[in-house]
Amino acid sequence: MHRWAVSRAIYRGLLCLYPHEFRARFGSDLQADFADLLHARGTMGTWLRVVPDLCRSLPLTHARARASRKRARATAYHGETAMGSLKADVRHAVRSLVKTPVFTAVTIVTLALGIGANSAIFSLVNAVLLRPLGYVEPERLMLIYEGFRGSSLGKIGVSPPDFIDLTTLQRSFSSIGAYRTQQYELSGAGEPEQIIGVRVSASVFPILGVRAAHGRTFLESEDQPGQDVAVLSYGLWQRRYGSDPHAVGRTVTLDRRPYTIVGVMPASFQFPKRGPQINGEPAQVWTPLALGPFERSQQARGMMYAHTVIGRLRGSLPAEQAMREAGALGPTLVRNYPAMLQGPIKSLMVTAAPLIGEIAGQVQRPLLILLGAVGLVLLVACANVANLVLSRAVTRQREISVRAALGAGRRRLLQMLLVEGLLLTAAGGALGLFIGNTVVRAMPDVITLALPGVQNVGLDGRVVLFTFALSALTAIIFGLLPLIVSERRDLADLLREGGARSIGGARQHRLQAMLVVSSVALAVVLLASAGLLMHSFTKLMAVDPGIRAPRVLTMQVRLPQAGYDSAAAVRSFYQGLHDRVGAIPSVRGASIQTDLPVKGDGERRGFTVDQAIDPSNATSSAAVTWTFGDYFRTFGVPIVKGRGFLPEEDLENRGMTIVSRALAERYWPGQDPIGKRLKWGVAASRGRWQTVVGVAGDVVDGKLDEPPIMHIYVPYSEAVDPALAVPMAGLMRRMTVAAVTDQDVATVVAPMRAAIAALDPALAVAEVTTMAQVMADASAPQRFSTLLLGAFASGALLLAAIGLYGMLAFGVTRRTREIGVRLALGATRGEVVGLVVRQGMILTLTGLGFGVVGALGAARLLRGLLYQTEPLDVVTFASVPGILAVVALLACYLPARRAARVEPMAALRAE
Amino acid sequence: MSKPVPSRGQPPLTAAVFHILLALADGPLHGYAIMQAVEASAGEDMRMGPGTIYGSLQRMEDAGLVRELTTLGDDRRRVFGLQPAGRRALEAEARRLTRLAALVRARRLIPGER
Repeated sequence: MHRWAVSRAIYRGLLCLYPHEFRARFGSDLQADFADLLHARGTMGTWLRVVPDLCRSLPLTHARARASRKRARATAYHGETAMGSLKADVRHAVRSLVKTPVFTAVTIVTLALGIGANSAIFSLVNAVLLRPLGYVEPERLMLIYEGFRGSSLGKIGVSPPDFIDLTTLQRSFSSIGAYRTQQYELSGAGEPEQIIGVRVSASVFPILGVRAAHGRTFLESEDQPGQDVAVLSYGLWQRRYGSDPHAVGRTVTLDRRPYTIVGVMPASFQFPKRGPQINGEPAQVWTPLALGPFERSQQARGMMYAHTVIGRLRGSLPAEQAMREAGALGPTLVRNYPAMLQGPIKSLMVTAAPLIGEIAGQVQRPLLILLGAVGLVLLVACANVANLVLSRAVTRQREISVRAALGAGRRRLLQMLLVEGLLLTAAGGALGLFIGNTVVRAMPDVITLALPGVQNVGLDGRVVLFTFALSALTAIIFGLLPLIVSERRDLADLLREGGARSIGGARQHRLQAMLVVSSVALAVVLLASAGLLMHSFTKLMAVDPGIRAPRVLTMQVRLPQAGYDSAAAVRSFYQGLHDRVGAIPSVRGASIQTDLPVKGDGERRGFTVDQAIDPSNATSSAAVTWTFGDYFRTFGVPIVKGRGFLPEEDLENRGMTIVSRALAERYWPGQDPIGKRLKWGVAASRGRWQTVVGVAGDVVDGKLDEPPIMHIYVPYSEAVDPALAVPMAGLMRRMTVAAVTDQDVATVVAPMRAAIAALDPALAVAEVTTMAQVMADASAPQRFSTLLLGAFASGALLLAAIGLYGMLAFGVTRRTREIGVRLALGATRGEVVGLVVRQGMILTLTGLGFGVVGALGAARLLRGLLYQTEPLDVVTFASVPGILAVVALLACYLPARRAARVEPMAALRAE
Repeated sequence: MSKPVPSRGQPPLTAAVFHILLALADGPLHGYAIMQAVEASAGEDMRMGPGTIYGSLQRMEDAGLVRELTTLGDDRRRVFGLQPAGRRALEAEARRLTRLAALVRARRLIPGER
């Protein structure tokens, strides 16, 4: 009767007011009685009776429900307190987990992998990308570069006279400052050591906005030559001054000269930040930039493009405006150059870029990709944990029903399952923390060095908490699923049906299938990505670096001003060093140079070529190395044309030079480069012409995946006296000495150190390393990410396989009776095995399908990281399905075998 | 389950319980039938709704006076029947009421009653 439908609906809703058990038991009767009343009394009469009935029966039934619950708790658990029941639950949970060791172990390991890997990578990303720079409003800071349009060297530093001009010309910044790295020999109490210092103009610290922790930073008046003052970093102050609160006013001996300490910076302060930008090494000491009269003069135009200029944007000016202004300032600066430089300098340009991008820029994408990979692993881990817990929970439904029948309240059961889930997560989390910490500590130094803003990566507490919470949530939700499912039905029904056949089995099965498919898909994505990276890495390792230096040891020394204040003193030192090292018995050859090949950290200089094919393009910049001794033979750099330097040319400047093949082919293609000339600076500079006597093979310049840049080699004698004597240049005063040996490289270390000490015992030796190490470092970042991604992919594959195995094994257990029936009805064991394997492979293939689609997308994202590898690399995409199929078959094997072993009679007899 | 069965010396049954027991005296009934029987025997004053019926039945079940019988026919309705303890309680209450009624008659409190 639809006219009573509303009343009946209302009554049905009102029934919710009754206690749960009452409603569950009598609900249908109550509704039926209500319907009968409607028939007998009509709407009005019924409601007149029912409303007072409700008022009377509600308190009645609720009181009874409360009493019965209390009774049940008392009889079942003998009046425990909340804490007592918790302890019992923990004990029981531990016992039940131990009874199923495989499940427990696999779940814990899965959780640990997900939590550990995620925490480690996320901490790294956090340290690099998200940790604040520590400067005031760092998003308002920008760096200004100079450069030459069309030059292969891109952004270079600013020349001092140009910087002076910029201070007056620019309008976008409230203030700009310049700085430049300067290595110092730190002596005094303790071992002499080489430290990194940075010379800053007085405006730099105010631009950064950070005040000194002790004392102060520089005054304008101190930014002059001869003002020997210094600001210490916190680390240096701690290390060498024992955190002395009265350090301000004391002296620090840099390059054997006393500097007065005027301030100490706070512990969190780091400047400049490590990164790909110029002058990007954090300093331990700051000294004034103190540009001298030469640097401010017109004579310094066209050289020393080595300073970094930093500025703070004015007010709320947008960065784009500053960038536009920088572009416009280029021509203005050019006008200030002397007339004779006007022609070649016309390609000079000025650019500005936000500081934050300059620091983190290059590593942003790889890190984000890494983060994505780890996120996928976490998802796979969660899916697997869910699967495992679900399977187990279904088997325990009987146990739960029995407990409920014995009187365990819903809350109690919840508590029990929660405790189990939390125990698993706690164990997994502890293991995960350990894994994460190990990964973080194991990161090669080169990685942390290459990554900006990172000194010691530690596990970020927030990250650990997040991944922990996520995993806990997964474990708990899926662990509680059976309880939620079984609540809706009469628990007696559950007991009557018996066995592990579960309610909502179809729904559960679908859920499990989905979990397995998704974990397979994710594993495929990771596998494909790892495969691509591996392929790219092998291509990278196949790149010929251009040198052959299997047993070459190198060390670096820097001559301070004190004791070496004349060019002659510097020359004589390095000549002496070359002779001494060459005299060491196990050394076959020695050379001294301003920088090592492959490392790519050498000097860059502008130069102009004589008789270029294209005169308008005659000026460019190249990497320059000054050498003393047989550089090319020491490092195995081939001379493809002409010859190397003669010993006389090392001692006396004869205007000889050797160029790299890239340079020769750019400027004199098809011609003989021998006899051609070049000079420093622009066409109109008054540099002396140098003659090319040889062409050397190209050498990789720091980046294996980029073509080598043009390289010019000159003998040490070419360095002019001012360049040697003036500490500002610093270049010739810091040389690397390299020795080739037939024997183990380690045996040469002590003799080389002795040779240096024989010349000057107070000299600090730095960067003792081998060329093999330098070459390994060049590929270290790619090696690390390839290894890492490979590890993740393997882990994900393992997890997916375990998930598949678990589901199939569980399926076999559940369907034992069905299998028995089939066998009894005449199916062969082979057919039964085929049943299991088919189920497994269907899941695998579905996962593969989704995974391939995802992998194609991931490959596109990886494009920037790949070297000579197409995103749709055939080898990778062909082998991944193969690997997956093999692993899946293995995972199917055990359950299939178990299915084949089913005894039909036994299976049918067992309930 | 330990609510004591009312017997001699125990407090009397509530009216609702008594009438329900009375209704079941002749045989098991389902909820609606009990409701009708109670209304017939107790009159307009004791109109019970379904909630009260089943709530009382539940309490009486706890006390061991009635029992839910496994349904043989109509699944929709739960059928309750008297337990021996319930029958005893009913008889005891009936005896008590008869005694009271005799007292009332002896005192001639209600006119027209012999």
